[in-house]
Amino acid sequence: MNDVNDLFPLLPELILAALVLVVITADLFLRRADKWLLTPITVVGLVLAGIACPIVWGTNHTVFGGFYRVDDLSVFLKGATIVIGVLSALFAPSYLASRRLPLGEFNAILIFSLLGMCILASSSDLITLFLGLELMVLPAYILAGFHKTDRYSNEGGLKYFLLGSFASAILLFGTSWTFGLTGTTHLSGIAQAVSRGETSPALLVAIGFLTVGATFKAAAVPFHYWTPDAYQGAPTPITGFLSVGPKLGAFALLIRVFVDALGPIRADWLTVMAILAVLTMTGGNIVALTQVNVKRMLAYSSIAHTGYILAGLAAYAAATTTDARAFGIQAILFYVLGYGVMNVAAFAVVGMLQRDTRRFGGLGSFAGLGARAPWLAASMVILLLSLTGIPPTVGFFAKLYVLVATVDAGIGWLAVAIALNAALAAFYYLRVIVYMYMRDPEADPAPIDASPFGSLALGLSVAGVLLLGVFPSFVLDVLHASALSIF
Amino acid sequence: MQPPILTLVVFTPLIGVLVLLAIPGHNQRAIRWVALLAALTSLGFSLALTGYRPDGPEFQFRESLDWIPAFGMGYRLGVDGLSVVLVILTTVLSVVSIFYSWDPIQTRVKEYYATMLLLMVGMLGVFVSLDLFLFYVFWEISLIPMYLIIGIWGGPRRIYATVKFVIYTLVGSLLMLVAILAVAIAHGNASGQFTFDYLVLRGFSYTDNLQALAFIAFFLAFAIKVPMWPLHTWLPDAHVEAPTAGSIILAGVLLKLGGYGFLRYSLPLLPDASKSFAPIVIGLAIVAILYGALVSMVQPDLKKLIAYSSVSHMGYVMLGAFVFNVQGLEGAVFQMISHGITTGALFLLVGVIYERTHDRLIAHMGGLNAKLPRYAAIFGLFTFASIGLPGLSGFIGEFLVVLGAFRFNAWVAAATMLVVIFSAVYMLWMFQRVFFTVPSGWMRRFWPSLKDMSRNEWLAVAPLVVLVVALGVFPGPVLHALDAPMQRIVEIVNGSSGLTSFQLPW
Repeated sequence: MNDVNDLFPLLPELILAALVLVVITADLFLRRADKWLLTPITVVGLVLAGIACPIVWGTNHTVFGGFYRVDDLSVFLKGATIVIGVLSALFAPSYLASRRLPLGEFNAILIFSLLGMCILASSSDLITLFLGLELMVLPAYILAGFHKTDRYSNEGGLKYFLLGSFASAILLFGTSWTFGLTGTTHLSGIAQAVSRGETSPALLVAIGFLTVGATFKAAAVPFHYWTPDAYQGAPTPITGFLSVGPKLGAFALLIRVFVDALGPIRADWLTVMAILAVLTMTGGNIVALTQVNVKRMLAYSSIAHTGYILAGLAAYAAATTTDARAFGIQAILFYVLGYGVMNVAAFAVVGMLQRDTRRFGGLGSFAGLGARAPWLAASMVILLLSLTGIPPTVGFFAKLYVLVATVDAGIGWLAVAIALNAALAAFYYLRVIVYMYMRDPEADPAPIDASPFGSLALGLSVAGVLLLGVFPSFVLDVLHASALSIF
Repeated sequence: MQPPILTLVVFTPLIGVLVLLAIPGHNQRAIRWVALLAALTSLGFSLALTGYRPDGPEFQFRESLDWIPAFGMGYRLGVDGLSVVLVILTTVLSVVSIFYSWDPIQTRVKEYYATMLLLMVGMLGVFVSLDLFLFYVFWEISLIPMYLIIGIWGGPRRIYATVKFVIYTLVGSLLMLVAILAVAIAHGNASGQFTFDYLVLRGFSYTDNLQALAFIAFFLAFAIKVPMWPLHTWLPDAHVEAPTAGSIILAGVLLKLGGYGFLRYSLPLLPDASKSFAPIVIGLAIVAILYGALVSMVQPDLKKLIAYSSVSHMGYVMLGAFVFNVQGLEGAVFQMISHGITTGALFLLVGVIYERTHDRLIAHMGGLNAKLPRYAAIFGLFTFASIGLPGLSGFIGEFLVVLGAFRFNAWVAAATMLVVIFSAVYMLWMFQRVFFTVPSGWMRRFWPSLKDMSRNEWLAVAPLVVLVVALGVFPGPVLHALDAPMQRIVEIVNGSSGLTSFQLPW
């Protein structure tokens, strides 16, 4: 059954797995002064894995006896994963170096997590799904507590680990109910089983557990309270990764479970998803409004973004035509990619202002940045405008995508909720611009960390944010094919 | 093939921005010249639009390119008479404010001019877009530069003012985005062609429910921008804190984006809803006209007085737009242009005295006529233009609006006519307190060093003097250009049946 041909569609995953070994081995043999080489090695390896994505594009079939499905949707998510990985790998080194944290271990753990995200995106069976999820989040727990001697990092890591395990357990409980009720762990088998007849109360219980578990991972309100502490404690560039990587994974999980397996009974979970979306965006925004620490503000705002993405899932469920349903999925995919790029970069800018290790990313660090570091400030302005959703940036187009999907699906009230929330969010994002350009620098301004890798990644991110915002056309076809590949 | 005039008009300032980025920040002279040249070039291109033929096709100088075909979004540009006059108003006022900033702006010069030019791109883009999505993009692009201009180069409470301005505007515009999408999707679902092309969407008849909701969303966006009572509260704050050039652009052009939005989008796209909601809008407009005038009377600050008078004047625009006859509509547009010139000039002149005394309180002035006769003369000219003295541009707009209102309802016309008296009261009383009477103790401290208007200030205000007189004496060409577009709006709205199935709660 498992012939060698089954391995070929796994090319990106295989490259990632090999890359982990290469990085660990290289870390052993490189002298301390040469450790920086680990970053180029990692990035080159990730780029190779990225190149493998177009090669396996269009495979669209399951391998390993139905446990693993390489479709265009999964390939798109893998591509997005690798983009996030490259940016994280470039942003982290100088921050880690100034705190004497080991680069080799960071890179290896990061790649493990990326591999988990790829497996999660491709899983077509509850078992593989759980495997991918754990491979993604276990390294993430380690990364959150990566700063071993910092008690905030320890606290964040521990909270993340405990609550994350708790969520995994709930999810696992939900999958066991689902298995018990449908007699199969294959997602397609579950889809067939649930589409027969009425939805039993027991199945609703199962859906309930799955929803709680999955939205826990995605950090939706009211299952979000682990995020701010975990995000604030972690080293800042790692926070950037944690705020988008595992989130991408969580949405891969949501798509796989709720679209692939529970798609036929979407009417049963539509209302819950829509309400969760509104709660999440509003809750995240309101708490973010009160934050005076930019890192924490970005953490809460990432919750709000989860809400917007969930609205895409609600649009999928509410739509009546295949095209409109596919549109909801496309909105999720585009948002996850765009959000990934802008949020990793925004956290990285916060990190660049933490060269002085006693700084925690307060608003004061940003005071007068426009005069002190014009290019860094201008980049941050573009990222913040993108997070707010002002054209011509990727953040705007991503919100537009979700809005079109929700209006198209006939749930205009959700679109109105998104619009009002975006205006609310403008308040706290623009406040950072106020500090950068409209206030004088502090007496003792934060030193700026402008490493070549970090600057390169920031340049790439800003270019990507503008490019995807002005000319999104070139990814739209890819998105369309990705979304249609699961119908 | 024609040269792409509209693209040149809109994007020349952007080229200016790119050039500015390459100039080192300390070379202020070069920066000012580049910014002025970019704005002047754009003005030059915009003058080519005077080649617009009123008897030609509805939209001229058209350009059309695919942008995001999957979403039916295109780079579609075109102008009719309405757009032409507003584009020229924008380029003229931009040049004036960039030129005026020569001396007053001394900090972060490079950033200042880059934001001014970006603002120009956004405003011009709004007036020439023939695609709802493109329109929205330009609409939002015009927001951020003004946010920065007030927030960075503004007065002491600038941060409060600018954040208020942005949040107000964003709430309206994001709801408008939802309405734009709803309109495009409704059309797409019915016809199978998903597009944001204005000309396609305009001809479609939307359901009453959609029209009513979309009208409310558009109304919020545009009414906040106009600004209409009771959504005007951001305006006085923004004006008081904005630097002079920012005030000129804010009053001169940004408020017109709202009026333009009503005429270009609300009325033709949603005629039934417009017809049914018209009484409410007219009611609000009358309140705005009255309220603005009454509140202006008691303002201690010159800028605040002019800001509140804008609320009153823009009320005329709204009134003219919603009485649905050609006189009213043409009056509304003319009033927008005239208000842009007059108020722009008044803010500039307030800036002139502010540069000398760093104060704008009317109580701190007095007797300036004796010391600054030429300044007083120019200020007087625009005071009269603002009141609506015949022979100056303000008269034409107000007269036409009142005429249109009279055809709609004589009592409405009578009420608005009364307000003209109020406007004479607050403007002339202000003029008297500033230029006649005896100089205040405060002013006496500056008395020896007070100088009349400098050459640069003369040069900045000169084009506005020419325009305010020329438009007052020869309104014909502008009105002629507006005939066909306004006639079309009247036909569309009056040909509609109003909302029938949508139950209004009143």
